[in-house]
Amino acid sequence: MIITKKALPRRTFLRGAGTVLALPLLDAMIPAATALANTPARPVPRLGFVFVPMGTDHARWTPKGGEILDELSPILSPLENLKDKITVVTNLELQNSYPGTHDTSNSGFLSAAFAKHTESSDYHSGTTIDQIAAKQIGQETRLPSLELSMDINPLAGVCNNGYACVYQNSISWSSPTTPLPSEAHPRLVFERLFGEGSTPEERAALLRSRASLLDSFHADIARLKGKVGTGDKNRVDQYLETIREIERQIQRAEEADEEEFSTDMDRPVGVPAEFGDHATLLYDLQLLALQADITRVISFQFTRELTNRTYPQIGVPEPHHPTSHHGNDPAKLEKIAKIGQYHVAFFAEFLEKLKATPDGDGSLLDNTIYLYGSGMGNPSLHDHANLPILVAGGTSAGLRGGRHIRYENGTPLANLHLTLLNRVGVDVAAFGDSNGKIEDLFDPVPV
Amino acid sequence: MNLPKPRILRSLLVLSLTACGPQDSTVPASPLLRNNTEQAVTGVAEISASHVKEAINQYCVVCHSEQLETAGLRLDSVDLTDVSAQPELLEKVIRKLRTGTMPPEGLPAPSPEQRHTMVAWLESSLDEVAAASPNPGRTETLRRLNRTEYQNAIRDLLKLDIDASSLLPPDESGHGFDNVIVGDLTPSLLDRYLSAAQKISRLAIGGAQASVQSDVISVPPDLTQEEHIPGLPIGTRGGVSVSYTFPQNGEYDIQVRLARNRTGDIGGLLNSQPQLMELLIDREIIETFMVVRPNGPDHSEVDKDFKARIPVTAGPHDLGVTFPKISSSLLESERQPLQSHFNEIRHPRLNPAVYQVTVTGPYATEGPGDTPSRRQLFVCQPTDTSQEEACAREILSNLSRRAYRRPVDETDVEGPMTFYQKARTEGNFDEGVAAGLSAVLMNPQFLFRVELAPDDVAPSSPYYISDIELASRLSFFLWSSLPDEELLAVAERGELRSPDELETQVRRMLADQRSKNLATNFAGQWLQLRNLEAFSPNVRLYPDFDDNLRQAFRQESELFLDSVLREDRSIVDLLNADYTFLNERLAKHYGIPGIFGSRFRRVELAEGSERGGLLRHGSVLAVTSFPNRTSPVLRGVWVLDNIYGAPPPPPPADVPALDEAAVAASLPMRERLAAHRNNPVCASCHNTIDPVGFALENFDAVGRWRDHDGDNGPVDVTGGLPSMGNLTGVSGLEAGLLSRPTLLADTITEKLMTFALGRGVEYYDASAIRKIVREAEPDGYRFSSLIMGIVKSIPFQMRTSL
Repeated sequence: MIITKKALPRRTFLRGAGTVLALPLLDAMIPAATALANTPARPVPRLGFVFVPMGTDHARWTPKGGEILDELSPILSPLENLKDKITVVTNLELQNSYPGTHDTSNSGFLSAAFAKHTESSDYHSGTTIDQIAAKQIGQETRLPSLELSMDINPLAGVCNNGYACVYQNSISWSSPTTPLPSEAHPRLVFERLFGEGSTPEERAALLRSRASLLDSFHADIARLKGKVGTGDKNRVDQYLETIREIERQIQRAEEADEEEFSTDMDRPVGVPAEFGDHATLLYDLQLLALQADITRVISFQFTRELTNRTYPQIGVPEPHHPTSHHGNDPAKLEKIAKIGQYHVAFFAEFLEKLKATPDGDGSLLDNTIYLYGSGMGNPSLHDHANLPILVAGGTSAGLRGGRHIRYENGTPLANLHLTLLNRVGVDVAAFGDSNGKIEDLFDPVPV
Repeated sequence: MNLPKPRILRSLLVLSLTACGPQDSTVPASPLLRNNTEQAVTGVAEISASHVKEAINQYCVVCHSEQLETAGLRLDSVDLTDVSAQPELLEKVIRKLRTGTMPPEGLPAPSPEQRHTMVAWLESSLDEVAAASPNPGRTETLRRLNRTEYQNAIRDLLKLDIDASSLLPPDESGHGFDNVIVGDLTPSLLDRYLSAAQKISRLAIGGAQASVQSDVISVPPDLTQEEHIPGLPIGTRGGVSVSYTFPQNGEYDIQVRLARNRTGDIGGLLNSQPQLMELLIDREIIETFMVVRPNGPDHSEVDKDFKARIPVTAGPHDLGVTFPKISSSLLESERQPLQSHFNEIRHPRLNPAVYQVTVTGPYATEGPGDTPSRRQLFVCQPTDTSQEEACAREILSNLSRRAYRRPVDETDVEGPMTFYQKARTEGNFDEGVAAGLSAVLMNPQFLFRVELAPDDVAPSSPYYISDIELASRLSFFLWSSLPDEELLAVAERGELRSPDELETQVRRMLADQRSKNLATNFAGQWLQLRNLEAFSPNVRLYPDFDDNLRQAFRQESELFLDSVLREDRSIVDLLNADYTFLNERLAKHYGIPGIFGSRFRRVELAEGSERGGLLRHGSVLAVTSFPNRTSPVLRGVWVLDNIYGAPPPPPPADVPALDEAAVAASLPMRERLAAHRNNPVCASCHNTIDPVGFALENFDAVGRWRDHDGDNGPVDVTGGLPSMGNLTGVSGLEAGLLSRPTLLADTITEKLMTFALGRGVEYYDASAIRKIVREAEPDGYRFSSLIMGIVKSIPFQMRTSL
C-alpha cells in the first residue's frame, strides 16, 4: 500500500498560541518517507497512549445501556460525533499496582508490572508496551517513539510513600530499569520532530548545507580509503555505508521539500500559559508527527498523578488531587467528573483532526489506535479496579468501534496490552499478568 | 573459573605437604632462598632457568598441571630456556606472583625472598627479549575524537565554550576509558556531527542567522538553595550561575521558573516572606523580581511574569539568577537538623528556589559584535571586496592547520574555499567564512586522528611515528585536545624528538592549566568518579544528601588530584596525604569543625585525622557503595583494580543469586557476606576481594566515619591485602599498599598508558611499564616521572604497521 502524496484540505488547520510567535495555518505536510509495512487487509496501525491521572467518577464515566454504544456518559459526551470510532472497556484491573498508590497507577498503566518499592536508584518496573511496539514498528521512522507530558517539573528524592520519583514521572519504560523522560516543552518537541531552524526557509537552508557537508565528507573519506592499508579498508567501507545511510535520509527530506510539502508551522517558542493552549499544541504536534511519519508510537502523560492543578476555566478552582479524595461527597464527585470531561474534550478534538486527515485509503484515525485511560479506578479508595479505559480509531486494523465491552471484575488490563501488541505484530503469548486477549474489540475475522 | 573440587584439593594438599615437607620458616634452605632480600636481588644473575622452573613445579603445577589445568592454565610444560616462546603466559605468572594473589591463601607458597627472585628473573628475561625485538603494539589507524576531545578541540580552536553533551551522544568505554572504542561511526553519530558543525560555525561567527534560538538551563532538582552557591556574589543564596554564549548583539528574553513540588506547589513559598530574586549579567543586577506567596492554593501564577527582555552584547557572559540572602536571624522557620533542603516531605525548602532559566533570542539584533571566537577566527579583515577572497583563504588555511594538526597546502584549503565561495555569493563575507568553517569541522582530518604507516615500512614491523603524529599523541594525552601553536611549530620543524625538546614540551604542557584534564577526565575514569553523577543514596537511610554534597565530593577529589599533579608530588601522596580540600558543606558532612563558606580551600589535617588520601574521600567511598549500604565487594574490587593492580576476574556467568531474603539485613556486614566465604566456589575470589572492603567499613555508604554499625556494636575492620596477612582499618590498608609502592606505580602507569595510547595495555607492553617504573623510582615515583617515562616509551613513540 503506497501512501499517495495529497495536499491536505484546507479544513485541517493548526491553531495554537505560542507565547511569542503566532502559529500560521498548516497547509500541507512533509509526507511519509517510507510506505508502511502492511497488507491491504490488515495494515499495521500506529499506536498512541494517553494517560490521565486519578481515575474517575464511575457513575459519570461508565455508559449506560448495552453492548452498542448509543448513549454516551457525561464524561464521554465530547466524543458524541466519534461514537462509532471508540470502544469503552469496563472492569479492567491492574493487579500489580496494589497496594494502591499514585506512583503505581502511573508506572503500571503501560507495563502492568509490579513496581519495586524503593526510593533509591534501584527502581524496577517493566518494559512498557509502547516501547515494545516501537521496537517492532518504529524502526523505519526517524523517531522510534515519542514521549510527551504536560508538566515541566521533574522531581528527585521521594515522591510518595517510599516510591522513587521515576515512577510518577515516566509512563514509558524502555526496560524494567530504564524510565524514559518525556517532553512537555512544545519547542523541544518541535525540534525533536523537525530539527533546528525557526522558519521553513531556515530549515530548508540547513538541509541544503547539510547535504553539501555530507558530500564533501564523503569525498574525503573515499580519498582516505586510498591511503590506508588493506586491513583498514574494511573500516573505511563501514564509514562509507554510514554516509550512504544519512544521504538517503537527507534525500528523502529534500525530495519532500521540492514537492512544496513543508510544514508552514513556525517553531513554537514558549510554553503557553493557558492549559488549554498547551494541551492543544501538544496534541497538534502529535498530529504532525503522525502525518509526517516521523514516528508511529506516541505516549502522552496528560497531567500527573498527584497533581494539584486547578481548572478555574471550567468552574473547578480547587486542586485536583485533594478533590479526587471525594469520600463520596457529591460536590467533589461532580467536580472530578467535570475535570474528566474537560480532559476528554481535548482528546475528542484531537481525534476529530485525525479523522479529517487523509492517510492512505482512509484517514489517520482509521490507521491509528489510541488508548485513553487511567491506571487508577476509584481515586478516593486508591484502587486499580474498573479502570476508565477507552480505545479509539484503528478501523483499518479491524477495530469495530461503537461498542461498550463489559468484562468480569478483575480482568487484567494486560489483556488489552497483549491484544494491541499482537495487533502490531509483536508475537507474544502473554504480557504482564494477562490471562487472555480482548478479541471483542475487533470485527470477527472472516472464515 | 574451574577450581578443583574440594576433596581433590585436600588430597593434593596432603600430597604436596608430604612431598615437600611443612612450609614454614624452619624448612631447610631451598636453592632459591637467600638470607636477605638484598642478596636475593644481586643473586638474580646466579639464578638460572632451572631454579625458577623448580619453584614453579613446586608451588604452581599442583593445580596448573596437565590433568587439572586450573583456570585453563598449564605451567607443567613451560620452557624457561626460551622465554620468547610464551611471553603472555609468563607475564601472567609475574603479575600473580608480584601481587601475591597466587598461590592462593592456604596453599604452600614461596617465601617473600623466593618470590622476589623468581619475579626478578622472569622480568629480566622478558625485558631482554623485549629489548631485542620491541613490540609497540598497534593503535587503530582511524580514531574519531570522543565527546570530551571534541569539546576541548572547539574550545582551543575557536575560543568557544560549547556543551558537547547536548550535541553528541556519550561514548562507549573500553578498558575503563572512553577514548578506546572510537573507531566506529554510526549514522546517528554522523548525523550529530553534521548538526554540531552547523551549529558551532553559526555560533562562532555570530552573524550567520537572523532567527530566534532558545536554550533552557536547568538546575538539578536536588540542589539545596538556602546558602551561597559558588560563582554568585557573596551575600546571595541559591540560584544558578552559568557561562552562556550569546550569539549576537541584541535583546534576549530571559525567563525564570521556580522549583516546584510533586503537587505543583512552589517549594519554600508557604512559610517564607516575600523575597527578591535578581537576574545578573556578569555579576551586575539587570532585573529584579519579587517572589510573593499567592492568596489561594494555586501557585501556577507566581512565576508567570518572571521574564525580562534585556540587551546583551554577543559573546560569553556570566548569567546568574539568585536571591539576596535574608539573614538567618530574621528567618521565621523551625530549626532544621539537616543540611539538605529540597524534598517537601523529608527536608522541605525554606525559601523559593530556581528550577529553570530560559534564554531566547536574539531580538532586535545588531550584528555579530566582538567576541573571543570572532577575534580568534578573523586573523584578517578585508577592507573592501577585492581583498575578501585572499583574506578568506588566509583565515581558512590558518584554521585548517590548527584543526587538522599538521601543515596544510593548497588542496587542503580548496574544499573549504568552495563552501566559502558558494555561501559568499548568497550572503556576506561572514556567512562565507561560516560555511568554510563548517566544512573544516566536517573534515575527517579534524574529526579523526589518523596514524598512517609510511609506504616504505614492511608489514607487521615497528616504526617511529612522525613528529606530527607524536605531537597529537602528546596533546591528546595531557590535554585531551589539539596541539597548541608552540607544540605544532616544534613538530613541523622536526625538532620534537631532539633530546631536550621533548622533555621541555612535556614539562611546559604539564604546567599549563589544560593539564587539569588529567585530574578531571583521566582520574574521573580511572577512579570511576564519573559514577558520582548517578549516585543517589536511599533518602530514608541517608536523608542529608543533596547535589551540593555530590558536587563537593567531586570537587574535593579533583582539586586533590590536581594538587598532586601540579606540585609534582610522588604518587604515594595519593594515599597518605595529610591535607585535603574542603568547603563548609563537605566539612560538616565529615564532621570537621571550623570551615565556613562555599569556597573550597586546602586544609591541613590534624594528626590522626580520618581524612586525607584517596581511600578516605567521600567520592570514592560513595561510588563503591549501594544506595542503602556499603559494599565491601565493590570497594575491594575498586582497590584491587585501580590501586593494587590485581583486578579479580569477573564473576562466572552462572553465579547463583544469593538468596537475599535469607540474610537478615540487621546482621553485621561480615556475617551478611558469610556465604561468600562458606561456599568454596565463591571463596576462591571473595577471600581476596572481601577483606579489602572490610578494612574500609569505618566509612558508611555516603563516606561518613562510623565506629558502630547500627545495633551491631563496633565495626569490625579487620581486613587484608593479598599475601599481606591481616590489616586493620583504612590506616592498615594504606600502610599495606604503601609498603609496595612499585605496585601502585605499576597500576597508575598502566592506567595512564591505556589513556595515553587509547588502547588496552597488553602483555607486550609490560616490559615498557617496568622500565618506566624503574626509572621513576630514584625520585620517589613522581607523577611527572611516570608521564615522562610513558612519553619516551616504545609504545608511545612507535607503532606496528599492519
